[in-house]
Amino acid sequence: MKFLKNFLVVISLLTLPFSAFAVDENFPNDKVAIWGDFSGITLDVKLIGGAPYDPLYEVMIPIWEAKTGGKVSILSKKSHFELDKEIKQDIAAGNISYCVVSNHTSFATQYGDIYRDLNGIVPKDFLAEFVPLVLDHSTVDGRLVQLPQHSDVSNLWYIKSIYEDEDNKKRFKAEYGYDLAPPETLEQWKEQAIFWSDPPNFYGTQYVGKEEAITGRFYELVIAEGGALFDEGMRPVFNDEAGQRALQWFVDLYNAQAVPAGVLNYLWDETGLGFASGTVALNLDWGGWGAYFNSADSKIGGDVGLVRFPMGSGGKRGGWSGSHTYSILNGCPEENLEAAASLIWILTNHEAQMHEARGGKLPTMTRVWEDIASEMDADGNAFMSDLFSTFSASMAEDAFTPPLIPEWIPFSNIIFPELQAAIVGDKSVKEALDDAAKETDYLMQDAGYY
Amino acid sequence: MSRKFFSGPFILILPSILAIGFVIIIPLIFSFYTSFTSYKLTRPDSLFNFVGLRNYERLIDNTKFWYAFGRTILFLAVVLNLELLFGLGIALLINKITWGQRTLRTIMMFPMMFSPILVGFQWKYIFNDNIGLLNNFLYLFGYESAIPWLIDKYLAMGSIMVAEIWANTSIFAILLLAGLLGIPRDPIEAARVDGCNSWQVFKNITLPFLMPFIFIALTIRSLDVGRAYDIVHIMTGGGPAMRTELIWTMIARIGYKDANMGFANAMSYVSIILSIAFTYYFFTKLVAARRDLGQQ
Repeated sequence: MKFLKNFLVVISLLTLPFSAFAVDENFPNDKVAIWGDFSGITLDVKLIGGAPYDPLYEVMIPIWEAKTGGKVSILSKKSHFELDKEIKQDIAAGNISYCVVSNHTSFATQYGDIYRDLNGIVPKDFLAEFVPLVLDHSTVDGRLVQLPQHSDVSNLWYIKSIYEDEDNKKRFKAEYGYDLAPPETLEQWKEQAIFWSDPPNFYGTQYVGKEEAITGRFYELVIAEGGALFDEGMRPVFNDEAGQRALQWFVDLYNAQAVPAGVLNYLWDETGLGFASGTVALNLDWGGWGAYFNSADSKIGGDVGLVRFPMGSGGKRGGWSGSHTYSILNGCPEENLEAAASLIWILTNHEAQMHEARGGKLPTMTRVWEDIASEMDADGNAFMSDLFSTFSASMAEDAFTPPLIPEWIPFSNIIFPELQAAIVGDKSVKEALDDAAKETDYLMQDAGYY
Repeated sequence: MSRKFFSGPFILILPSILAIGFVIIIPLIFSFYTSFTSYKLTRPDSLFNFVGLRNYERLIDNTKFWYAFGRTILFLAVVLNLELLFGLGIALLINKITWGQRTLRTIMMFPMMFSPILVGFQWKYIFNDNIGLLNNFLYLFGYESAIPWLIDKYLAMGSIMVAEIWANTSIFAILLLAGLLGIPRDPIEAARVDGCNSWQVFKNITLPFLMPFIFIALTIRSLDVGRAYDIVHIMTGGGPAMRTELIWTMIARIGYKDANMGFANAMSYVSIILSIAFTYYFFTKLVAARRDLGQQ
């Protein structure tokens, strides 16, 4: 019986390349298709959930189930922070026998060797479609542990009409001595945010204020200011002058009431929905909100502009970046492996990436960047064309990942309360960063870096 | 000996012993053991990396933990006292009502029916500085500044206390109402005949009768509040800048987000001291109160 089972697995894996190279009528723009007859197979999966992610599942999973006869059982669907905690508990409990899980390039290094190497499971021709650098970032210890669905990097969204208003232009010039235009530097961003603010009705800007979100924002400002989080030996150096300038930027905006008072409780939903409510002038955010910001559902629909991340005094732009991905776990039974590969294919293929890109998410396939730009141009959608050209430039010139080390999240949990302490005035900027650096030093020593 | 061991009564309680063993004793022993290891959730092999008292030694120097510990004691003290006061007030008022008491008792229990997660979201929305009900209500009366309820050094903890008290005061009210309904009428009527006013009746008769119920309620709630997590996690996550960090939000972050379960378990065992201290104190008081009433 066991021999028969193994024989069937081997046969199914051998037939995978044949089905993989067949172009599918449902997805004519996909050069590689991974279908199969998965009747009787139920794939247990855990996915990142929420408004930006669910529409893709609602479209693709029913197609996959109808075409293959397989079933997808979603064991868990939650925010990535919650999913991260759940995966860690699953590892501890030895409960990692489900097949497919959402992942992220910033998180993947923490989980040890629970993922399968996708080289050999996913056809090479399909992998060749992805931006090579993004695949590099998806690789841990030489193993491709995740397949990227979309990337994220942030740029600065603004309300166009307030920048076009002649009265605003005159007032701004009189106060700051230069013409009002969307900010090109961090200093201009701060000045303009203060200029626009009229709390509690209207705020100049906002930032995500807790957990890994504010750590990442601080990180990219440190880079823009010409600094770094760690030196080459992985010792913390973010408490130097560049780091202090970066943190001072957050503090100044908070003290000037140019950001909402509750900003330290904000995460991505709060900033995105806040900007769409028309009460914030400048909002640093990813492209995934783009279509929504400019839609009729948003109070600023049709009045949204976009510029690259302003430059810091170090002559660099922020570009904290990562990719949302899917992984297959080692615990996924061999007989379900082909079905799992098929599922992550349908969630990351050309069709899926075009679906997501229409909302503003950044593709991870080279060809999709070109195809989405052509589609938007053909539709005469200048807003989305501008979105993709701006984000394309950021991905090419500015994007950098956080250190891809297992200590990223523990490091974040050390530093973010200290950043908050400086912002609310419980500590000075220097004091907060020194305290964070001291604790980080212990963390890195314990992890064996030095 | 063996005949006694396998006697009928023992066999009858064996399922309970096994259930308690598997559900309580074994996990307790296991977690206590892990507090002496460098156990990380994401590295199951670290379970066998024995580090002796290192986790406990680090705890002693960890000022953030002791601040959270102190904050938890403050939280316990304020919340328990206010819940007791409000619960007692509500119970006394409902006890006076002769019509519709059952309906009111049911309505009073509504907050207890919400899950703590839902209570957290509900109060997070009410206290939101931008779109929250409270600030927008204040704007109606000409207040022009957004009050950062969940950010301010004092207001943030106060806001969480309000949510906790709103959700759980009815536990006190129900327990104390049960006590009030059980008080014999004779001593009260005798006191009134002797010329005692309402305050004297309450202080000298009603309250002493209620004291055992009060200490039972305090014991139950001190264990609950000492483990407060859900509402705090949802409303502030312990922040900002650890201003609302209680021991269990801290332990959860270190245990689950940092995956540093060995250290988190060491924190948990030190934190249990708090629960034991409160429980011991209230039980001592309970025994004394029962003794005063002439009960065993």
